[in-house]
Amino acid sequence: MHDDRSQPPLPSRPSPVPPPSGGAGGERGRWMSLRRRRSSLLLSARANMMRRLLTWLGSGTLLLITSSSAIVVLFIFYFIFRDALPFFQLRGLGEFLTSTGWYPTANPPEFGSLAIIFGSGIVTLGAIVLSVPLGVSAAVCLSDVLPFGARQAVKPVIEILAAIPSVAYGFFALVVFAPVLQDSGGRMLAICTWVIGLPVGALALLIIADLLAARVPVERRGLVRYLTLGSGGALVLIGVYALAQRLAVIEVVSGTNALNVSIILGIMALPTVVSVSEDALQAAGRELREGSYALGATRAETILRVVIPAAGSGILAAVILGVMRAIGETMVVWMASGNAAQVPEPWYNLLEPLRTLTATIAGDMGEADQVTGSARYHVLFAMALILLLISFSCNLASEWIVVRSRKKLGK
Amino acid sequence: MELGTRKLLDRSFTGFGFLSIFLMAASLLVILTPIFVRGFGAFVFQGTVEFRRMQHVLFERGDPDELAAEVAAAAEARAPVYRMLAEFDAELAEMGFLERREYEGPLQELRAALHELFGPAPGVPEPVMPRDKFGQTRWDRAQVKLHEVLYRVEYDYSDPTRMGVPVEVPRADDFAGTSLAQLFPYLQAHAEEMLHPRLTVYLQFLTDESQDAHFFGGIWPEVLGTFYLTLGAMLFALPMGVISAIYLVEYAGQGRMISFLRTCISTLAGVPSIVFALFGLAFFINTLRVTESKSVLAGSLTLAVLVLPTVIRASEEALRSVPGTYKEAALSLGAGKWRAIVSVILPASLPGILTGVVISMGRAAGETAPIIFTAAVSVGKAVDVLQLKFWEAFQQPTPALPWNIYNLATEHEAVDEIRHVQFGMVFTLVVLVLVLNATAIAMRARISKKLKG
Repeated sequence: MHDDRSQPPLPSRPSPVPPPSGGAGGERGRWMSLRRRRSSLLLSARANMMRRLLTWLGSGTLLLITSSSAIVVLFIFYFIFRDALPFFQLRGLGEFLTSTGWYPTANPPEFGSLAIIFGSGIVTLGAIVLSVPLGVSAAVCLSDVLPFGARQAVKPVIEILAAIPSVAYGFFALVVFAPVLQDSGGRMLAICTWVIGLPVGALALLIIADLLAARVPVERRGLVRYLTLGSGGALVLIGVYALAQRLAVIEVVSGTNALNVSIILGIMALPTVVSVSEDALQAAGRELREGSYALGATRAETILRVVIPAAGSGILAAVILGVMRAIGETMVVWMASGNAAQVPEPWYNLLEPLRTLTATIAGDMGEADQVTGSARYHVLFAMALILLLISFSCNLASEWIVVRSRKKLGK
Repeated sequence: MELGTRKLLDRSFTGFGFLSIFLMAASLLVILTPIFVRGFGAFVFQGTVEFRRMQHVLFERGDPDELAAEVAAAAEARAPVYRMLAEFDAELAEMGFLERREYEGPLQELRAALHELFGPAPGVPEPVMPRDKFGQTRWDRAQVKLHEVLYRVEYDYSDPTRMGVPVEVPRADDFAGTSLAQLFPYLQAHAEEMLHPRLTVYLQFLTDESQDAHFFGGIWPEVLGTFYLTLGAMLFALPMGVISAIYLVEYAGQGRMISFLRTCISTLAGVPSIVFALFGLAFFINTLRVTESKSVLAGSLTLAVLVLPTVIRASEEALRSVPGTYKEAALSLGAGKWRAIVSVILPASLPGILTGVVISMGRAAGETAPIIFTAAVSVGKAVDVLQLKFWEAFQQPTPALPWNIYNLATEHEAVDEIRHVQFGMVFTLVVLVLVLNATAIAMRARISKKLKG
């Protein structure tokens, strides 16, 4: 640190007198008069020490204020843990993590949270399945395909999606989306099957036909291709048709279900996934892409085989951040998940209502509040502890990934 | 693979990228459109004569003479309805006991439905609840209620494998062959004369107190509560965030302590908002006892902790973006480090810091979970801004926009009746957050222009 004179002349009015170093004996009187006018120009040994002390104190105060965020984190862990501990003392860990019977008000009460933990997991999984492919491909489009101007136009869309309050998403899910899903959920699913199934099936067929054709002699390639395309095309059509017919007759009992929440959470996680993975893709560098293009690869091949593997850790970090956003979300799941503490039958049936950790905490605290000290109150803190541990480990993981990839890039 | 296939795959890959961007924009549009359209309907709508009567009685607005004339005209149009009911009562008195019993139930239902549509019938003692004193104030709701007067819903259980299917039965069928049968065509034909729908601009929706659990009036307590919570959160978060950022950028080295601090800050950013709520309850209210129970102060502190990482990161970025030459120039003129920071670096980075602050304000205004246990109540009066009793305002619990959106949409006793209020609240909140974010985007654009030269 350089020598700190904290009361210098203002930059706009530089003083013609150079600051002396300590009290010079003979000219003391003159300096004293100056000192009266502008004490800051003079530093006695004592004043100097005071100043150092002050600087030290000042930066100490700054450090103290800065570390308040660390203190807050520790406090959060401490307070959640302190109120979660009595639950484990009262009821043990076994029932909490293995039973699906959630009857906190029954006599005797049951606190099996497996169904609720499962609910959080399946909703998060649904959100990730939706947001990661869309988000990563949008990020690819933003970083590699779109010109600069168009990118600037898309940025506000991402920012607005990220800025809309979660309660507005929840309100939309409950009031607008749930009735639509309830009335025509089966038809929507069937249409989605057609829209997704046909192009994906067609592309997969083309690849398979090409790969098969490459294995036979040149003169029979055309025949093999057409045979594969013809028979496979019929298969794909029949498959998609059968699936769509099965989905179309499904009657959605309630619009507030896991599918609704997964879709909305997926939309909410999109901005995080897009912006973090776009950063990662940009960081992968131009040379990699140019090298790949020079070898004759198409853009898709370049991105899929070169850029995405190089940016893999960044994209993984994006996925983790998306998971954190989805698992910690409260309002949407509280309003639109149906709040039924059950494992759907079969487990992947997203059209059943379910319940998540966050919604349970938000919903049950109001009733448990008055009976502070009961297992019912403390079980909510135990759930918060789970959430906290998940988000903490996700955070550490994403940080570790970023640090590792930085080391790798920097060598 | 063949070149054609590779090209096709490349095209479809690009197409998928465009499709996902399109889907992203489309979902934004799909979410915002109903909120904007129906939220706008809370401010501009077809108001009936009952709306103007309600405004006059509850808020003392409008010209009394004009209103009296309008009410009289509506009453005149409604008079045949009540006359027909009275005639039917007389007819009923002459009927035999069994026949009478058959009509009594449907008649009671009809009267209740008419009361909801038009308000209390003439001659009936004034009801206590404000919601019972007036008919439908909005033409769109009045049409729904009119439909309920004309039809009743029955459930068809004829197919035992399915749930009951609702079937609408005209009420006219219940009274077929009696004098009351002519009531229904009359109602259908003269609805407009009885209710006088007129385009109404109700901007006071924003600044009116709510009346009778949001049946009438506006959302001022919620708006004010959100304002206080956001203000309080920034009051705590801004100084702490900026100072932390200054320390991290200008003073901190590379030590273990600092990397631990940084990990803590990013952990704080990742903590789920509901955990903040529990922390606020356990720490600020149950341990520190800043107030006895829920209060704006406790909610603000919780929100401040929530937005702190955002403020720190934005300020850090802003401080780092100040060119190093600024600092060097200040130091070369003899300024001390602290002086250089306060008088040169901080002013230069101020727009960037403000951008982060504005975004954090949007976040604090929209967060619901942290204030559930620390600040929000569903009904309450906020202390008026004009009285400037800020300390008093900070010590009491408050309704707030995000919490009341949840509360009205899920827990209110008549969720469907007050959809317009819910949409109005969501609209207000979203517009508030979007305006804050647009400000931030505009500020950032200006800064980047300035930095480019």
